[in-house]
Amino acid sequence: MAASVLLACGLNEQKLPGFVHISEESNVDGSFLISCILGQRLRISNAGTLLVCLQHHYQHYFNAGMRLGYNTNIFLDKTLNVIDVLSDMARHGLSSKWLRSPDGLTLTEQLVKDIRNQLANNFPNRSSYTILIDNLSILFNLGASKQQVQQFCLDLADLAKEHDNLTVITKLSNSDIHQLTDNNVAKLGHVRIQVLRLKSGVFREVDGRLLIERVLDEGSYACEQSRKEVLYKVNDRNVKIFNPGEIGVKV
Amino acid sequence: MLSNLIVTNQKVILIIDQLNRERIALKFIGSLLHEQGEGKEIKTLPIGTQLKHVASFETLLNECNNNNINQLNQSEPTKTGCNIILPTLADLLCYQTPAYIFDFINKLRRSEHVRRVFLWASPQNLQHTDADYILAGCEYLAELVLRLETDTTLSLISRKPGGGVTNKRYTCQVSKTEFQVTPLLDAGETNALAAATKIEAAHEEAAKAADPGGTFKIELDEDEVVARNALTLPYERTSEAAEGNIIYTPDADDDFDDEDPDEDLLI
Repeated sequence: MAASVLLACGLNEQKLPGFVHISEESNVDGSFLISCILGQRLRISNAGTLLVCLQHHYQHYFNAGMRLGYNTNIFLDKTLNVIDVLSDMARHGLSSKWLRSPDGLTLTEQLVKDIRNQLANNFPNRSSYTILIDNLSILFNLGASKQQVQQFCLDLADLAKEHDNLTVITKLSNSDIHQLTDNNVAKLGHVRIQVLRLKSGVFREVDGRLLIERVLDEGSYACEQSRKEVLYKVNDRNVKIFNPGEIGVKV
Repeated sequence: MLSNLIVTNQKVILIIDQLNRERIALKFIGSLLHEQGEGKEIKTLPIGTQLKHVASFETLLNECNNNNINQLNQSEPTKTGCNIILPTLADLLCYQTPAYIFDFINKLRRSEHVRRVFLWASPQNLQHTDADYILAGCEYLAELVLRLETDTTLSLISRKPGGGVTNKRYTCQVSKTEFQVTPLLDAGETNALAAATKIEAAHEEAAKAADPGGTFKIELDEDEVVARNALTLPYERTSEAAEGNIIYTPDADDDFDDEDPDEDLLI
């Protein structure tokens, strides 16, 4: 269902890089990548996953998962843990801890605290652990400053360095105004996936482009990098991948 | 090699990276120092979340002082002081205010126990609202500003203690382990450029001569230039005099009184 897109991104293996960042350009939706990665992680036995829901609530990922051929409810509270910020806010209104800062902690500090708690409880029992955060730009909407978001990401990067077999995957919609934050988050990891529009406009058979940049080796004065570009189409029950030029208008 | 240009007597070195190489900033600067045999005396601040603690900055300063005292005690013939590689400006601004950063750089600059301070700034990563001003402030503090402009060119602004400033541009060849630079204009190119300039000037002169429409003749020929240079203007004459003299030439009708030359002033 989603194997081809994960293969193209190099995220189909059991052991993932420590920090992966997905940049989403304005006017495109890369949420399908989160659902694809989530499905792949849940299929690995004894691999733990923590889903931090900021853009969509948990039910969205459940529905998306059902269409892609996996049921998140089977794994919930076993190998899958969820921090559902949106549902919590909907349930508790203004008394929600995400809006109140009860311990004097900012939103991002509260989030780091919760992630660390989840990690402390679940990481020792799992062969590997993945933290999926969708989507960092929502933190701006909830009142976090650019500095706080950057600090949050540095905290996450530290977590990835502290633990072996821990992968942090973040996504940020840069909306053409958060480009600098996007660059700062991307430099924390070795893999950056950019979800981009088609340069020429819109096309019925292709939704956009994926530009996958991977740092292979950090030299003293330059990095050895690989860049790969593919086209994608999100269908109802799968995601298709094409090489540039493979698909076109037939006259 | 780039290290020959960077590792000099200048104390504060700012590297402005326009190529998004921030992730290798520490390695980059470390390699420059290693190439010049100064790899042993490198000190860095802890990166990441540790930067939020002011104590980390104070500790670094204290370490430099202690290290220097130890060196003096051992009476080694080596150069005193250590090289400090600061975290990137984007990371510093994430946790500290610009005022604190400037103050800290200034403290390092004034410290006798610090030989060099390196700061890396990538404009693509500076998300502070006043990033442009902060970067300009850092440039003001720096004695050597290396700007990595493109994959093949860089510029180097050097400020000497005497006040002299040089701005040179270089072409570079970068591999993973080597950074070779050559001045952008070598002798051959300079001669070629000079010849081209001469030809261009000759063309301009010819064009002017061919244009009879001008009302005033504002160019000088050689004789006129010599005559102009030989002429001493009145203000130059007065400035040449060692002491002030009043030169008075009485008119024929004047009743000049030698005993009271200032009679009409009524002082």
